[in-house]
Amino acid sequence: MSAIATRYEVVVGLEVHAQILTQSKMFCGCSTDYLTAPPNANTCPVCLGLPGSLPVINRRAVEATIRTALALNCEIPEFSKFDRKNYFYPDLPKGYQISQYDLPLSRNGHLEFDLNGEARRCGITRVHLEEDTGKLLHEGAIHEAQASLVNFNRAGVPLMEIVSEPDLRSADEAREYVMRLRAILQYIGVNHGDMESGQLRCDANVSLRPAGSAGLGTKVEVKNMNSFRAIHRAIEYEVERQTQVLESGGRLAQETRGWNDARGLTVSQRSKEYAEDYRYFPEPDLPPLDVSREWVAQIRAGLPELPAARRERFMTAFSLSPYDAALLTSSKTMAEFFEETVRLGAPAKTAANWILGDFSRLLNIDRKEIDDASIKPRHLQQLISLVDSGAITGKMAKQTFEAMYRAPDPGPALEAARGSTQISGDAELDRIVDQVIAENVKSVADFRAGKEQALKFLIGQGMKISRGRANPQRLDALLREKIQ
Amino acid sequence: MKLYQRTIRDLHQMLVDREISSVELTDAVLSQIDAVGDTTKAYLLVTRELALRQAQAADERLRANRDVRPLTGIPIALKDVLCVRDVVSTAGSKILRGFTPPYSATVVERLEGEGAVFLGKTNCDEFAMGSSNENSGYWPVRNPWSLDRVPGGSSGGSAAAVASGEAIAALGSDTGGSIRQPAALTGIVGLKPTYGRVSRYGLIAFASSLDQIGPMTRDVVDGALLLQAIAGHDPSDSTSSLRPVPDYLATLTDGVKGMRLGVPKEYFVAGMEPAVEQSIRDAIRLLEQQGASIEEVSLPHSDVALPAYYIIAPAEASSNLARYDGTRYGFQAGGGRNLIEEYMLTRQQGFGAEVKRRIMLGTYALSSGYYDAYYLQAQKVRTLIIEDFKQAFKKVDALLGATSPTAAFELGAKTQDPVAMYLNDIITIPANLGNVCGISVPCGLVDGLPIGLQVIAPGFGEAAALRVAYAFEAATQFHKARSPLMGAAA
Amino acid sequence: MPEPESELSSRQVEHVARLARLGITPEEVTRYRDQLRNILHHIEALNRADTSKVPATAHPLEERNVMREDRREPSLPAEAALRNAPSREDSYFKVKAIQE
Ligand SMILES: [Zn+2]
Repeated sequence: MSAIATRYEVVVGLEVHAQILTQSKMFCGCSTDYLTAPPNANTCPVCLGLPGSLPVINRRAVEATIRTALALNCEIPEFSKFDRKNYFYPDLPKGYQISQYDLPLSRNGHLEFDLNGEARRCGITRVHLEEDTGKLLHEGAIHEAQASLVNFNRAGVPLMEIVSEPDLRSADEAREYVMRLRAILQYIGVNHGDMESGQLRCDANVSLRPAGSAGLGTKVEVKNMNSFRAIHRAIEYEVERQTQVLESGGRLAQETRGWNDARGLTVSQRSKEYAEDYRYFPEPDLPPLDVSREWVAQIRAGLPELPAARRERFMTAFSLSPYDAALLTSSKTMAEFFEETVRLGAPAKTAANWILGDFSRLLNIDRKEIDDASIKPRHLQQLISLVDSGAITGKMAKQTFEAMYRAPDPGPALEAARGSTQISGDAELDRIVDQVIAENVKSVADFRAGKEQALKFLIGQGMKISRGRANPQRLDALLREKIQ
Repeated sequence: MKLYQRTIRDLHQMLVDREISSVELTDAVLSQIDAVGDTTKAYLLVTRELALRQAQAADERLRANRDVRPLTGIPIALKDVLCVRDVVSTAGSKILRGFTPPYSATVVERLEGEGAVFLGKTNCDEFAMGSSNENSGYWPVRNPWSLDRVPGGSSGGSAAAVASGEAIAALGSDTGGSIRQPAALTGIVGLKPTYGRVSRYGLIAFASSLDQIGPMTRDVVDGALLLQAIAGHDPSDSTSSLRPVPDYLATLTDGVKGMRLGVPKEYFVAGMEPAVEQSIRDAIRLLEQQGASIEEVSLPHSDVALPAYYIIAPAEASSNLARYDGTRYGFQAGGGRNLIEEYMLTRQQGFGAEVKRRIMLGTYALSSGYYDAYYLQAQKVRTLIIEDFKQAFKKVDALLGATSPTAAFELGAKTQDPVAMYLNDIITIPANLGNVCGISVPCGLVDGLPIGLQVIAPGFGEAAALRVAYAFEAATQFHKARSPLMGAAA
Repeated sequence: MPEPESELSSRQVEHVARLARLGITPEEVTRYRDQLRNILHHIEALNRADTSKVPATAHPLEERNVMREDRREPSLPAEAALRNAPSREDSYFKVKAIQE
């Protein structure tokens, strides 16, 4: 890595494809639900490319693209059009993809993010709108396959392409950029952000250049990265590979390489020297779009608070640390969960700790999102208030939380905790403290001799005897009183 | 007069008056197809059962006097570029052999709604690319006026069917003259509406920014009736206009008195047959006698319309025809070692020579390094042509000229020389590029072969074009001439 | 404006045919080359028009923003979608392997 740091600068640009959440496809009324439908069930003359069929633009897809572009600080030109990108592939029913070439819906934006507490900014070249392709199923391994099976359910699903400038300087930055971008897409409700199922896809252009130089090195396009982890690993691998080629005096080929996650390496797919000539030209079947300023203002007015703004607000309104605020706002649902918990009366810091601590840990293990959990803000708020009132201990609360999390209905676990309230009667506590003092003569002596540490042990013994039902603060007080 | 010789308007009256039934009428036309179909080769497919079923339904509608429309019970032929649900639709191409669309074109649905009767799919140049019908992937069509001559193209089958009594009327499509030129060459009326007037949904595309569907009929009234039935906005075609459709019959007989008619000097092209030119000059004089004022106008960029067309149309076609790869429908060659080889074999064997020529021309014009010089330049020229028409229509209400510089030529006469073939469309192409409408109406016979007068009106000025054409028709007998195959009108 | 190449080469014809996925025999290469040269020669006339200040017309109509609302419409019955397929397996279209 030292060679990279000193001799080469890493240059990464990302192309992110995001399916737009719509009911119907980009140019026809077929359902976009391609993951569950039987093969080729969601198809019609338009998305099968039957002779004579014609496309009609889905307004919601256009608006979602403008919405995204606004969230990414893009300019929205007043005129935009669709173009045909011509190439042959069996998943492309018309022999061309309706896309946007020289007049996309938006351009010149940027995305800001933090990396290790440092502010970063990546330029957004453009956000444009196009249609997805169908899916190929290979019979056997791709290289030995005799045939492929084609399913056009995905063909025509609206797709945004978000192209970044080559402003990213490391795998860490690239991953962080995609995480931020994903959060924004989820925030504004245009995409679910699921990378594994391909609703969000990422290609990276990776090159190296001598440190201090402004030119661009030979660009390698890396495809097939299906997770944040894969993006990170693939770019790290590619940087290492390119460094080695350059270090050993070799030359890099301008090519497309596929990330093989299982083997942890990139594999050359095709050389760009035989680059396809896409013969873009204006789509004659679709009149252009006049994007009036009123329309843009209307879409802008409908934008929710974006992660960056929300994060600022969390820091000022709830006195959260920048780190906690960033984590909480990285997911729209998590931020909303947090805000609702606080609104119901929980102290902000405590709510944040629960959500970012135990809750996130359990969700991560189960690979679940916060809104998939049975625990709702009111449950968490009630649990926090039980702790704060001294009714249950923090330790009990943790156990209760896990029980609530595991149950389809968190209610009973919460009620059980409420019922088995802490020992508050002085008589019982007295008895426990007496027992602790009697059984731990040495520690009592140590504490008398000034060892504060010994008291902690004694409190622990008290908790043990009470099976966690004693209030540690009160044990502390009572022990001090009786020993001294 | 035989039933199959009559016009829509006549037959409608007879149907309404219960003089005849639609089944009788349909039988009469089907019999004429049986009699002369092997001679003209106008049809690729005769949908006999469908026609009789529709005729019966129309008769019920007529009997019940339920929503009787001008086309109810009228047997009509459809150019094979139009998709009809469950009926083989091939655009005259072997690459679509056997293709049975699961949906119908919007115009087909509209005619179904009118209660029209579908006789079948008419032959045409493959993907509507041609001016003689010799580019059909199946067989050439012969001109009912002279069997060793072409009927024109690409809607030659529709033209021949109407001219031979094998249909009362037909739909064609016009990208550079494919309705008007065959109409002229077979002595019928053919109208190319303004781009956007008629839905293209379900029309197998040749050049998407130029294609229009239009009527091919025995006379102008029938043209107006058929256009009325198919015109108007269609939510499935984003390029169909939202402008309201006027009542074409309402102004049809208003005459040309007081109209200003322009004669573009550029339309008297080199190579025009003197007899054709003479007929056109006579026609112009006749309209002047009817009270129109005639003035010469100039469309200065007419000479670059043909080259612009032969970039724009093939470029769009090269993309439109990319979908014919043998994987989802149509012909599949088999025998390729991998998919790319299979694609190449399928397209090599499935497409005919002219289609391949245009795909290559269009691919070249769009390819990297040539786009600006060819495609972009052609689109700029298109702007100039649109501008030419706008200027001319500031001065006049309609333009007059020939439809085709010659009468029908012999089969094989131009097949070896693509450029000579392309020149057939030299005075029809500007209307497609200029986004205006045009109608061809019979204006004489040259050596026993029909020729046409072309009336061009501004965009969405179909009513004006029809009105001028009707005034001319009403003052002449040319449209009453019947081809030898159809037989004498008496 | 760059001058279009006046003489189309056989290699260009082969390249264009490959881009368009058209199989083509050596004889056809020569024939198409000559025919396309002739056509392109006539098309050179395009350059006679002064278009230096002229915008291109891609869409002849004045219509803009023609859009549909995001509503689902019925798809084709699966059999109708597949009935024209030259090769199929179950409810999939089947194509030869892609390897180049
Ligand atoms: Zn569809």
